[in-house]
Amino acid sequence: MSQALLAPAGDPPREATIAFDGLYRANRDDVYAYAAGLMRDRTAAEDVTATTFERAYRNRGRFDPARGTARAWLFGIARNAALDELRRRGRQTTLAVDPIDLASSAPVHPAEQNETRLVVANALKALTGRERELVALKFFAGLSNAEIGAVLEITESNAGTRLHRVLDKLREACNEAS
Amino acid sequence: MRPHRDEIDLSTELRALRPAPRPEFTAELDSRAAAGFPQSGPRPIGRVTGLFRRLGQIPERLRVVPGRRLLAAAGTGAVAAIAVATGLVLTSESGPGTTAPTALNTFPSNGKSGSTLRAGSDRTAGARDERLGANDAGQTQFSAPVPSTGASRASAGNGELAPAAGTTRTGRGPYASQVPHRDVERSAQIVLVTGPTEVRGDAAKVFETVHAYRGIVLSSSIRDGRAGEAGATFELLVPSSRLGDAMAAFSDIAEVSSRHESTLDVTAQTIGLRERLQDARAKVKSLLGEVSGAASEAEREAAEAELRSARRHAAALRARLANLQRRTHLSSVSMRIETGGHTGDGGGWGIDDALGDAGHILSVAAGVGLVGLAVLAPPILVVLLAWLAHRGWVRRRRERALD
Repeated sequence: MSQALLAPAGDPPREATIAFDGLYRANRDDVYAYAAGLMRDRTAAEDVTATTFERAYRNRGRFDPARGTARAWLFGIARNAALDELRRRGRQTTLAVDPIDLASSAPVHPAEQNETRLVVANALKALTGRERELVALKFFAGLSNAEIGAVLEITESNAGTRLHRVLDKLREACNEAS
Repeated sequence: MRPHRDEIDLSTELRALRPAPRPEFTAELDSRAAAGFPQSGPRPIGRVTGLFRRLGQIPERLRVVPGRRLLAAAGTGAVAAIAVATGLVLTSESGPGTTAPTALNTFPSNGKSGSTLRAGSDRTAGARDERLGANDAGQTQFSAPVPSTGASRASAGNGELAPAAGTTRTGRGPYASQVPHRDVERSAQIVLVTGPTEVRGDAAKVFETVHAYRGIVLSSSIRDGRAGEAGATFELLVPSSRLGDAMAAFSDIAEVSSRHESTLDVTAQTIGLRERLQDARAKVKSLLGEVSGAASEAEREAAEAELRSARRHAAALRARLANLQRRTHLSSVSMRIETGGHTGDGGGWGIDDALGDAGHILSVAAGVGLVGLAVLAPPILVVLLAWLAHRGWVRRRRERALD
């Protein structure tokens, strides 16, 4: 993601708007995927996504390229919004609509592959909130380990280590299920 | 290589499970994004949260401001602060309520001040004994750095040192509070500032003033030289009843840098001495009777020896009482004439004076700024710590949502 997505504060407003528009288009679905993966609630994910971009738009002048990429900055906002929402809802993340909708996401896969995916989806449900967040950032939002580190305010290697542990746990859960 | 294969499969499967937003939602969000995310309504935010949020936004907002504008704003603020500080300094130095640095000119405020002001050998006799009665004495001090304006002289009048009169009954308590007349020992110190060339003239005026008020110059010392070196010191005795007028006259001689006056109530000591003297006289009288009525030579000699001792004691008491009364009738005045770098130097106000004034103003302005900083630093630190604590608390609360 280009640093120029957010124009510096001194730039004319028009250029800043264009830069934000690029950031929005490039990350809209990723932010939603992250929020949905973390919260397991489509409605909440939509609220969080809207809140994220609204906050980012209003605070776009505060983005500092020296402190990280625009994408990491945006996902930092998304994380705060998601955690606020989780807390506001009293952590009652009822699964109104399961975001992992196999019927809509993989209509042409063979039956065996669908079965594997179901196993993985069930294994995901067994993860804790922190573990699910890592998966959502890495595999749903597509962030690099460095960006994950920036979002979670940990080092890149620490992010990689944590991810590795989560994948091990997932793999074990899948093996047990199969 | 099987684990690697497993990992790739898991990653692929996880990516395939990525949730996708509803088209209706994306369309709505796109339209809101195109409109610049118009606010649908005010969001309720707690006052404290809002305050901390706004405080937290200050550094971010400052960062957003272009450096040139920030520099200009900071420069304007600094100039304004210096202007205010300079104004305060000038006001405080030129106004009628001038307060020159008193720390350099005030005198000890404990019981020793009376003895330091007491000059002349005649006043030291028996002073130690009377010092022992310091607990019985009420001491009052007036420290008044005063300009040489008439307004200040009013405060130095006779009335302000007058002790409260008691009732007609004579009281012997620790303060002899019921006696109708108070015996008060007074002292004063005054510092005048003048030009080096005017020291001798001002010293002559001091002598004239002392004589005009029937005072006594116990000691004097006059030094010539440059500004800061030239000066004079005087130890004076002035009738207590005219001390206020004399101080006012001294204040007219030159600019007053500081003035300090103190009183020491010695009524109890005076009464005590007087009564002891009466007793001693009575004893002398009775011993005289014993001497005249002695039956034998031995008795007469013993009575005479005792009489001599009693007379010596009475004489000592009389001397101490006289000394005490003299001290109440004559006030000691310690005067100093100093020379500044710019006052009445004979010439005009020059570059040196300007530099000196500028340095003085800047140093005082820096002092004012430092004091302001000292005043502001604690609340700023408290707010900063509170903000950091709040931020940490919010962060921990958010993190707990994942547990």
